[in-house]
Amino acid sequence: MSTRAVTFRAAALLLLVVFVTRPQLFAFAFVPLTANNAPAIYNQGSLLALTLSHVRIVFLATLASTILAVALAIFVTRPAGREFLPLSRSLVNIGQTFPPIAVLAIAVPLVGFGEKPTFIALFLYGLLPIFENTLAGLTEVSPRTLEAARGMGMNAWQRLWQVELPLALPVILAGIRLSVIISLGTATIGSTVAAKGLGEVIIAGLQSNNVAFILQGGLVVALLAVLIHDGLGLAERAAARRLGRPLDEIA
Amino acid sequence: MIEIEHLSKHYGDNIVVDDVSFAVGDGEIAVVVGTSGAGKSTLLRMINRLVVPNTGRVLIDGQDTATLPEDELRHRIGYVIQGYGLFPHRTVAENISTVPRLLGWDRRRIAARVEELLDLFQLDPGEFAQKFPHQLSGGQQQRVGVARALAAKPALLLMDEPFGSLDPVIRGKAQDDLLAIQRRLGTTIVLVTHDMNEAFHLGDRIAVMDQARLLQYAKPADLLTHPAEAFVEQLVGTAERPFRLLSLVTVKDAMEPGSAEGEPITVSATLRDALAQLIWRGRPALPVTDASGAPVGRISVDGILKHGRASLS
Repeated sequence: MSTRAVTFRAAALLLLVVFVTRPQLFAFAFVPLTANNAPAIYNQGSLLALTLSHVRIVFLATLASTILAVALAIFVTRPAGREFLPLSRSLVNIGQTFPPIAVLAIAVPLVGFGEKPTFIALFLYGLLPIFENTLAGLTEVSPRTLEAARGMGMNAWQRLWQVELPLALPVILAGIRLSVIISLGTATIGSTVAAKGLGEVIIAGLQSNNVAFILQGGLVVALLAVLIHDGLGLAERAAARRLGRPLDEIA
Repeated sequence: MIEIEHLSKHYGDNIVVDDVSFAVGDGEIAVVVGTSGAGKSTLLRMINRLVVPNTGRVLIDGQDTATLPEDELRHRIGYVIQGYGLFPHRTVAENISTVPRLLGWDRRRIAARVEELLDLFQLDPGEFAQKFPHQLSGGQQQRVGVARALAAKPALLLMDEPFGSLDPVIRGKAQDDLLAIQRRLGTTIVLVTHDMNEAFHLGDRIAVMDQARLLQYAKPADLLTHPAEAFVEQLVGTAERPFRLLSLVTVKDAMEPGSAEGEPITVSATLRDALAQLIWRGRPALPVTDASGAPVGRISVDGILKHGRASLS
């Protein structure tokens, strides 16, 4: 990584941290966007607290998606689970095609307002990229490598943990990264059902016709997305480098 | 001692291996040759039960392999495949220590074994132990593949086209290295190839397979002089026969007393190489020296030709 890349990343991180902890320092930049003496900086709660709960729900939902999607992909690539592949694919696809806003509409009557419906929507929405990537990663492991592993007396469990998963790791990580980024953006709609998150800032701006609020909410989500995307990308490349693969081979 | 008794394998109506029996003595190299699709690889994979035979059994030192747990059996049998199947995410040292780790050897013993094997295969441990497979040349990968198979000191090594993806120059060297290591360790080897030269170069005994059947299992010289079927004769190549015979005998066995002028030949060279030298140098005879370079006799064209004739062998 070049010094320039490090400096750029550090600057983006610093900007994010300062902005969510001391938003008033940036008031000057937002004042021109307000009208009728409306507040330039979001004043109905702490930006820091909203950012943290936004990240928290994305993290929890992605964690749950990862556990289920990876487990499902492992299952359908075993001899015993092979016939469930089409079924699992359809289920995961439904999770993706169903719009999160519709999921919220259905979930609220069932589980009530708050974080729960948002969690469900993000969880369902995040399954597909992780499932498909894990599937691709596991099926791309060279048959020769697996043959050698069997021939040396590795049992099915040892082959999975010591050979298949480590080799599929970069592709699985790419799926998780995609899912996290989608969820970071999608989580903003959770605020329509009273989940704590950066969506609150944007919605407050829309309701009071305050462009400054909308921009602040969007800016923090965007900075988060760029930084997390970048961080996970680094992890992926480190995993891929161990395998001696060129970077552009990673989906 | 491995005894293969009446092994058969079929997939539906397709018979892949049909009632094959043969035995390989301790420390011997048995080479299975045949055209592609003859059932060679399936036969090999039935020895370590990667393929479960429909009928027949394999005995290793008198013990029926079907009575052992599969994984335990495979820990005791080295296995090398074409392309080697090295683990791309593991270093050379980690690849080699695969079976010892499965067996739960302690760390120090594993490290010592890895170093020993790298030395044996002429790979400097300091340079190669921490490299990843993609950083190695084809020849180096091949050596690591064999070293990995030998890590837990198996008495039996199965090799499926182990030199198939090497270029001809490196292949010859790799075959010689394997022979030297095999002589040193006394490992029994069953090797599958479709390359007749490789079979004659490496095999103490050669098994010829065609269309799922074992046609002949014999010493290389017997295969040449007494082929059991027309197919065997065809496979060894009638025009090639005298030269193959010569390649099975060393200068030592055809040496005459006396001396001759010219570039000396060592006693361990094959008669085929010696004849090539005689033709090339345009001489009826050349001096023979031992390993230290001291003259021990002479080798002549007439003396060599006797060894290439069917009636005399």
